[in-house]
Amino acid sequence: MEDTRIGVFVCRCGTNIGGFLDVPALVEYAKGLPNVVFSQESLYTCSEAGLTGIKKAIAEQRLNRVIVASCTPRTHEPLFRSTCKEAGLNPYLFEFVNIRDQCSWVHMRETEKATEKAKDLIRMGVARARLLEPQAEIQGEVVPSALVIGGGIAGMTCALSIADRGFEVTLVERETGLGGLLRNLYKLYPTQEDASELIEAKIHEVKKNRNIEVLTSATVTEVKGFFGNYDVTIKQEGKNIPLRAGVIVVATGAEEFKPIGMYGYDGINVVTQLELDKMLKEGKFDAKNVVMIQCVGARDEKRNYCSRVCCMSALNNAITISERSPEAKTFILYRDMQTYGTSYEDLYRKAREKGIVFVKYSPQKPPVVNEGVVDVLDEFLGEELHLPCDLVVLSTPMIAHPDSVELAKILKIPVDEYGFFLEAHVKLRPLDFATDGVYLCGSAHWPSTVSESIAQAYGAASRASIPMSKRRVTAEPIISAVDQEKCIGCGVCEMVCPYSAIKLTKSTEGRWISQTNEVMCKGCGTCAVSCPATAIRMRHFQNEQVLAQVRVAFLTPAKEFEPRILAFTCNWCSYAGADLAGVSRIQYPPNVRIIRLMCSGRVDPIFVFEAFRSGADGVLISGCHPGDCHYVLGNRWSEARYKVIRSWLNEAGLEPERLRLAWISASEGGKFATVVTEMVAELRKMGPSPLRRLGS
Amino acid sequence: MIVVKPKLFEEIRSMLQGHERILIVGCDGCAGIYETGGLRQAEILKQRLELAQEIKGDRKISVRALTVLRQCDDDVVANSLREAVGEADAILSLGCGVGVQTIADAFEDKPVFPGNNTEFVGMMDRSQEKLFERCHACGDCILDQFGGICPITRCAKGLLNGPCGGQVKGKCEVGRYTNDCAWVLIWKRLKQRGKLDQFTKFRPFRTRQHSPKELKLAITVSKG
Repeated sequence: MEDTRIGVFVCRCGTNIGGFLDVPALVEYAKGLPNVVFSQESLYTCSEAGLTGIKKAIAEQRLNRVIVASCTPRTHEPLFRSTCKEAGLNPYLFEFVNIRDQCSWVHMRETEKATEKAKDLIRMGVARARLLEPQAEIQGEVVPSALVIGGGIAGMTCALSIADRGFEVTLVERETGLGGLLRNLYKLYPTQEDASELIEAKIHEVKKNRNIEVLTSATVTEVKGFFGNYDVTIKQEGKNIPLRAGVIVVATGAEEFKPIGMYGYDGINVVTQLELDKMLKEGKFDAKNVVMIQCVGARDEKRNYCSRVCCMSALNNAITISERSPEAKTFILYRDMQTYGTSYEDLYRKAREKGIVFVKYSPQKPPVVNEGVVDVLDEFLGEELHLPCDLVVLSTPMIAHPDSVELAKILKIPVDEYGFFLEAHVKLRPLDFATDGVYLCGSAHWPSTVSESIAQAYGAASRASIPMSKRRVTAEPIISAVDQEKCIGCGVCEMVCPYSAIKLTKSTEGRWISQTNEVMCKGCGTCAVSCPATAIRMRHFQNEQVLAQVRVAFLTPAKEFEPRILAFTCNWCSYAGADLAGVSRIQYPPNVRIIRLMCSGRVDPIFVFEAFRSGADGVLISGCHPGDCHYVLGNRWSEARYKVIRSWLNEAGLEPERLRLAWISASEGGKFATVVTEMVAELRKMGPSPLRRLGS
Repeated sequence: MIVVKPKLFEEIRSMLQGHERILIVGCDGCAGIYETGGLRQAEILKQRLELAQEIKGDRKISVRALTVLRQCDDDVVANSLREAVGEADAILSLGCGVGVQTIADAFEDKPVFPGNNTEFVGMMDRSQEKLFERCHACGDCILDQFGGICPITRCAKGLLNGPCGGQVKGKCEVGRYTNDCAWVLIWKRLKQRGKLDQFTKFRPFRTRQHSPKELKLAITVSKG
């Protein structure tokens, strides 16, 4: 057999890793690990230079395993895998070590400890890489039809663009008619185009397109199946309509925040920008003195984000007012005017020329709306102004639609803390979800202008059309495999599989044995943990591969007691949650080593025993919230097993509290940090595990 | 199949007291299929024993876990265990009572302990994920007369002419009305088949063997 030759590439990620970890020390450390024949650092491993470096090393050093220690596999694993593939190495001989999202970004003030943790993580990666096996990718067919959820400007544009490519599209809209938010808008900036003309034309186009079926007053209630072959249930007027779709686009938009209880908002004399649009559109506007207040309910503690479109809306409406009634006076009270780019800055200039007055206020001293007058402290003048007015317009942010959380559950996709949908990667895959075959566009993503929504819609349509044009998708070969010699034909796997992807079948010898359906298997690993004969192997997540990581997690001797935690997280929720803690720079103690599994249902009791026997003081099993499991029921099994393992630990004389189960979703970075921090504190109180040789 | 239930961990540990090289033998037959005594359970028990010993014990123990095709076959047992048994000073069977005895006969010089309690001959109900007692191995099968429902096993009193007055709404008084009354089930089944005449037929008392009970004769294995 060929020698195992591992190359370890440590990424600086600019200063993201390089600024917080001792990267040269990591490179040196990696060189001393078994089978590592090459190690180097790079400024950005994902850059062209970085990737060329990997390819060159594979050829020159005859590497047959590649490890990149950098950001997170959730965003960059595909890139590095394909780099390996280009260099002639099977992509499944690549291993990712997460030293940014789960190390440098979360231990920014503890360089030394974080570097030690990174060493441990690299050592674990090397231990696993040594046992990796090449895998052949699995091909599946794609149903050439798309489901677009949301019939606003983004959804309609996307549906039309997909339909123009010759694919069938079902467009689902929860309201009674198409059009979305645009139905309420008057003139669109920067072109002063009539919103209703634009939207009516789009609706007409959608309705006459033969490839598009429109379902209004309809909602998506269930999505089963997988990338390329989704089984969707749509509820329309109490009826369930089944639908098969290869891809899904989320374009559910957003809604305007109603500032109830703020600045005397009453919808008559104090209105929102959208309500002003409606007044202008219906010719009901007759005010002489208008005061607009920006950032109402935005950029505050509850909604920390800038809604991006409100400054332009205010300018646009102020200009419309001045053109329509030149005698009217408009004041815009702002914190920061955000009119970026070329055409929007023009809008600001034009407003200035029209004599609209801008007054900067501070959030510490917000304007006060009284009957017929607004009092505001002008930050530049340092004086209180009393602005007479007969109409106050509040610029409120766009907020996520309340339905988005429910839809996120159905589609198993993440939302951020504000309820906006979270893309797979902000730069690499801005219109994709991490779940293959699901895409997004428009304000469901974040507050977008009409032109941005349209551009995103074209982009999402292109992304969604790729698999439909190819007609085939390549699925990850992370699936179960049955050792026919060991299988005893008990059928337990069949009982636990949520996808009916493993079944007892009669072998050629006439014996009943289990067999995996390679396309249907999603790779959760629940069957492997249930098999009484240990006959089921999870490709790429074999017991031995995981145990190898466990065994070397805590090799570094410690002078004094510092709690050591091994965490098993599912790929979809908790690992992503841990990544989010990093992205949000939430700091937590560097006492945890994370092992990524596809599902918490994959956590074999043997892993937990081995963790404690390898010197862990605590073990954390973390998965998606009940009802949220990426694999339907995996976390139900993990919960049941967790209880049993705890009782076993107790019987063996180990405090059961050392094993903890936590449901952490992809959007709960803070919760991940809290759980780890709490566990460290609890374990500190409990003291070292009785299995740990003190002084080691 | 034979249904076994794991013994309490402390009981197993006290049985194995003083032994240092323990061989846990799983069974790929009934115990394995019903997830009580397969290789996985053997491996997990190995981990639990080693863990407990590391924490509580004074001496180190070494535990090996393996499995055999079925423990109720002396040839299989003797051939598959010979090498591993040589190194062990105690054997823990995760099969049924038959398995323990087969291993004990095959390796007379080694102490063999039961890791399970043998409960009954039962059936797996997959939808409920439960095992139910179905047969007493009485040696005189009369299921043909009762629509395939055994009154000897499933009637708490083994009545041949039921139901008795102890059934309420189809549940049996023995066991606080949790189990179905076998005789109600028999009535329903026979009615469904249009064979209620079998239900009303009187059956004379059947002599049941009590202790001392003669062991049934060995059955010659048919080669054809």
